[in-house]
Amino acid sequence: MAKKAPRRIGRYKILEELGRGAMGVVYRAEDPALERVLALKTIRLAEDMEGREDYQRRFMLEAKAAGKLTHPNIVTTFDFGEEADIAYLAMELLEGTDLRTCLLENSLSTAEAVDVVAQVAEGLGFAHERGVVHRDIKPGNIMLLERGTAKIMDFGVARMRSADFKTSTGLVLGTPRFMSPEQITGGPVDGRSDIFSLGSVLYELLTRAPLFAGEDAAQIAHNVTNLEHAPPSRANPQVTSMLDFVVARALKKDPALRYQDAYEMASDLRACLAEVRERHAEAVRKGNETDGTRTVKLEAGEARAAASPALAIGSDTDLRLSPRFDSAGALRRLAHPSGRDLARLAARPRRPGLLKRLLRDEAPRRLAATALAGALAALGVAWLL
Amino acid sequence: MGESLLASVVFLKLADFARRSVTEQARMRAQLEAVIAVTTAELEPTDRVVLDAPDGVAVVVLADPAGALRLAERALHAAAAGLPLAAGLNHGAVQVRDEKGEARVEGDGIAVAAQAANFAPPAELLASRAFREALASAAPGREARLGVAGTFTDAGLRAHAFFRVDATAQARRVRRHAVLGILVAAGLVGASVAVRVAAVGHDAFVQRLEQGYEGALRAGGDALRGWAKKAGL
Repeated sequence: MAKKAPRRIGRYKILEELGRGAMGVVYRAEDPALERVLALKTIRLAEDMEGREDYQRRFMLEAKAAGKLTHPNIVTTFDFGEEADIAYLAMELLEGTDLRTCLLENSLSTAEAVDVVAQVAEGLGFAHERGVVHRDIKPGNIMLLERGTAKIMDFGVARMRSADFKTSTGLVLGTPRFMSPEQITGGPVDGRSDIFSLGSVLYELLTRAPLFAGEDAAQIAHNVTNLEHAPPSRANPQVTSMLDFVVARALKKDPALRYQDAYEMASDLRACLAEVRERHAEAVRKGNETDGTRTVKLEAGEARAAASPALAIGSDTDLRLSPRFDSAGALRRLAHPSGRDLARLAARPRRPGLLKRLLRDEAPRRLAATALAGALAALGVAWLL
Repeated sequence: MGESLLASVVFLKLADFARRSVTEQARMRAQLEAVIAVTTAELEPTDRVVLDAPDGVAVVVLADPAGALRLAERALHAAAAGLPLAAGLNHGAVQVRDEKGEARVEGDGIAVAAQAANFAPPAELLASRAFREALASAAPGREARLGVAGTFTDAGLRAHAFFRVDATAQARRVRRHAVLGILVAAGLVGASVAVRVAAVGHDAFVQRLEQGYEGALRAGGDALRGWAKKAGL
């Protein structure tokens, strides 16, 4: 049963409970000194918590760093502190919807999704410039306000949460779906890790399907670290090729090949927006927003299932047809070879025989012709003289 | 569906593609597609499958290794102005897979071609031994264009022997064979003369040779005169 909300935490008067998570509770609270209503995020500190002192120290450091971030796309942290077994963060109270809900409701158009992610990238760029890495960028940590402004939440507490997923000890509490490969493998994490996570969020917003799916966290972690994604344009025809490139660059497994700067990603996304909006308008004009991509059917009557990028992930040598070239005829020959094709294409190449060489290879043909002429001359000498 | 068939694969890779800005990537991709459109025009659409790779394009050419080599060379030539393209060629197994209604092509044929393209410097192509053998089988003599480039070791410590185009190798080979033919012919005639000299003696052979020469001259003169007479000259 849920505990009754305390009346006061620190100097903040608790008004109501807004939400409850694995780490603590979020309250609507009031700062009596400023008469300001804010969100108070609490984190429970258990008495017997192993390494509690270290945990508290890290929390203070992170909260202090997050408190320095004042940016239109980052939720402002006003204050932080501890009381009894509770650490708390006093933050700007937002009225809006988080991206996770938007994803569930399917309420964002492609252009809106690009715009939101560009704003988040701006916010991340600002934080990274100041040496703060979020470490837990996911739809649930991005709030969308009524006027379309996106805000990144939970700077400062993410590091506490990222410890949830521990493959080495077998303890898996969180989901690695939006983690970067280096985060999963326990490598050093910097701003580029947030860029990967944001790329995953963008992918989901564009395709409306999870990028790295799996039956359990370990399988998802394997997919994050090993499998390549399908271009989002395969699932959503409004995604331009330029946008495909942005996603691909954000989702590079090697951080050195990824965007090195979130501002650069934001700038590229802004550059994509005009074309995406144009496509959207065109689709609306045609009154047809369904998938317009051409698909080669390998089996007659085979229904095309909804694109599932997670399943369509493959390595560099498991390639998709280029939609710009018609390869249907050749593909059919490969998929359903005729008897003649089977004989030609299944046979291993053989070293050509002498006769084939003499007939089709110019060099031995010349040699043979000259030698033959010499032999005839020799016969003439022997016979006539 | 599912049986592995053998085909020639041309893997065209844009060098350092991942490191470039997205705008540049879009430009390069558009340029590459234009190059592919031009170079695949000589192949029947039923003879080739064009596949998108993250940093380039792979073209699977059915039953025509010489066509695949031509395509790779033309693509490198067409891309010479400003597109850092490298090509890898292989002949190996390719398989079509259907995944949720989307066709995918995979197999060693593509994997080794991609590996060759990874090792090839910009504007050059590397071909596998399997491709060279397929070329020799389909178009004997053309394989001479591919000279040894060396052995390359990949990240998984697998060694790959690759071949590169040597533009003059084929002409050199034809010349070599021609010289060898002349030597063989001269040897046969020389041996025949030696046998005859040994059999009839030097003086008799020279005498017969002179008689034969004079006889041939006479016969030639008679034939010429007969022809002139017939022609009314």
